[in-house]
Formats: sequence, structure tokens, C-alpha cells
Amino acid sequence: MTPASRATRALDPRIDPDAAAVRAAQRDRRAFEVLYRRYVDRVYAHAFYALGDHHDAEDATERTFLDAMKGIGGYRDTGAGFRAWLFRVAHNTVSNAMRSRRRRRTEPIPDGWDRPAPNADPAALVARAEEGRRVLRAVRDLPLDRRQVVLLRFVDGLSAAEIGIVLDRSPGAVRVLLHRALRDLATRLEG
Amino acid sequence: MPIDRTPADRLDAAVDALLAGERAPGDAGLRAAISVAELLRTTLTPIPPGARFQAALGERIHGARFGERTLRAVTGTTRGRLIAAGAVSSAAVGVGVTAFAVWRTSRRQSGALHRLHR
Repeated sequence: MTPASRATRALDPRIDPDAAAVRAAQRDRRAFEVLYRRYVDRVYAHAFYALGDHHDAEDATERTFLDAMKGIGGYRDTGAGFRAWLFRVAHNTVSNAMRSRRRRRTEPIPDGWDRPAPNADPAALVARAEEGRRVLRAVRDLPLDRRQVVLLRFVDGLSAAEIGIVLDRSPGAVRVLLHRALRDLATRLEG
Repeated sequence: MPIDRTPADRLDAAVDALLAGERAPGDAGLRAAISVAELLRTTLTPIPPGARFQAALGERIHGARFGERTLRAVTGTTRGRLIAAGAVSSAAVGVGVTAFAVWRTSRRQSGALHRLHR
């Protein structure tokens, strides 16, 4: 049994909230737009935090949705749900972009949290932006598997079982990775 | 009988609670990891893509769907007719090219003969 299938079995029995939209998209691609609108923000955020650049994140988001739309006809729900399948597509796209990034050797730092809230206290904003940069730098310094788990858990809100589907690991292995990642981050942020 | 849960399981449950907007259970052994989780929850906030990008990609998805539907409509209902039309037009192009070649060759030959006779 593969880790992914163990993860599938470990998922709570539930009805996939996307099931109806997926069935509709398989009959008529017009319905794919519903899934696109539902997930574009989260896929983009995942790509942005992983790649750290708006343009690369847009490219990865575009490729993810076009690939997902192309593959939706072959999608079969094995218990993991559409969301895990979509993020697996996103994860593969982002991993490819990272490989190509390593070849180009560029590593921009994201500035997502620099967007000020209206009427925010300037001193608090500066402190928050600085802390945000420090946290993100620490996340980006994590080993790749730990970083991926952190992003999928906190940015995309996926459960350990869903992350197991995305990364082809058991839910238990994902929980251990998350535990190590958070302990690692605690040490890095203390210093 | 209570199940003995590992620290990784307890931390995962605490993260679930945090992400659901609830207070994480106080677990002395996990205090540092839970405070990092809290920090990540507030730092890694959703960042929506630009409106222009979102609209352009939506348009591409819309366009791909339209193209696919059009193709399916045409090929699904009149596949036989399409094949016949393709064959006829290929034959017509072939006949046309041959006729043109024959006509040009005959013109050149008659021109050459005409010049010889002069």
C-alpha cells in the first residue's frame, strides 16, 4: 500500500464539498470556472509563498489551472477529494518552477505583508513587516519537505491526510514533519 | 481507555484548533511549537492575485472551454460530413494544381513552337 493510499483511507468519511462542481465540470467544462473561482486565491498564495515572486506565482497558478482543467476528465475521487488533487497539481507545478529557479539562481524575498491595513499604526506596521520577513526567511530556510508541509498546512489549510495525498506520504509522516518543522522554526526564531 | 497520542498528533490537533480560530490546548511540552504555529497563522495570510491576472486567466479558461465546445459540437454532430468534405476539398485542390500545371506546360510549349516558327 502506498503512503498516499494509506492517507486516503485515513481521511474521515465525508462528502467532498467540490464533488458536484467536479461532476459538472467533467460533463461540461463550463463548470470548471466555478472551481477556478473557488481556489484561485489559495493556489496563488501557495505559489507565492513557495516561490517568493508575484510573476512566478502567476505563471505557476496559470499552469496549475490549465493542467487541472485538461486533466479533470480523468479525475476520480478515491476519497481524498478534489482539493487534495488540485494541490497535488499545484505542488508539482511549483516544484518544477523551483527546479528552474535553481538553474537561474534567483531568490527574491516576498513582500506580501507590506500591504498596510487602512488606519493602521505606522510603528506597529513596521514591526509587523519586520517580524513577517523574519518568519518567512526562517520558513524559506527550512529543508524542502518541512517547508512544503508548513505552506500546505498554514497557507492552504490542508489537513495532514490531504497533505499526505499531495506529497505521497502517510498522514502520520506528515504530522511528524510538521512537528519537526515547527520545532525547527522555534529554534531559528529564538536565535 | 485513553489513547496514548504522540507529540506530533497532539501538535496537529492544536494546529487544527488554531486554524479553526479556536484557542490551542495548553500543552507544556509543545508550548514553543504552538506559539510558532500561532505566528505562522497570523503571518502567512492569504494574498489574492492581481485582479487583472485573475480576469485574464478566467478569460483563458473561458476561451478554452468555448473552443473545446465548438470543436465538440462540430465533430460530434457532423463527423461523417467533415471527413467527406475534407476528402472532396483535398481532391479538388489536387485536381486544380494538376490542371494548372498542365495548362502552364502547354502554354510554354506553344510559346516555344511559336518562336521557332518565326
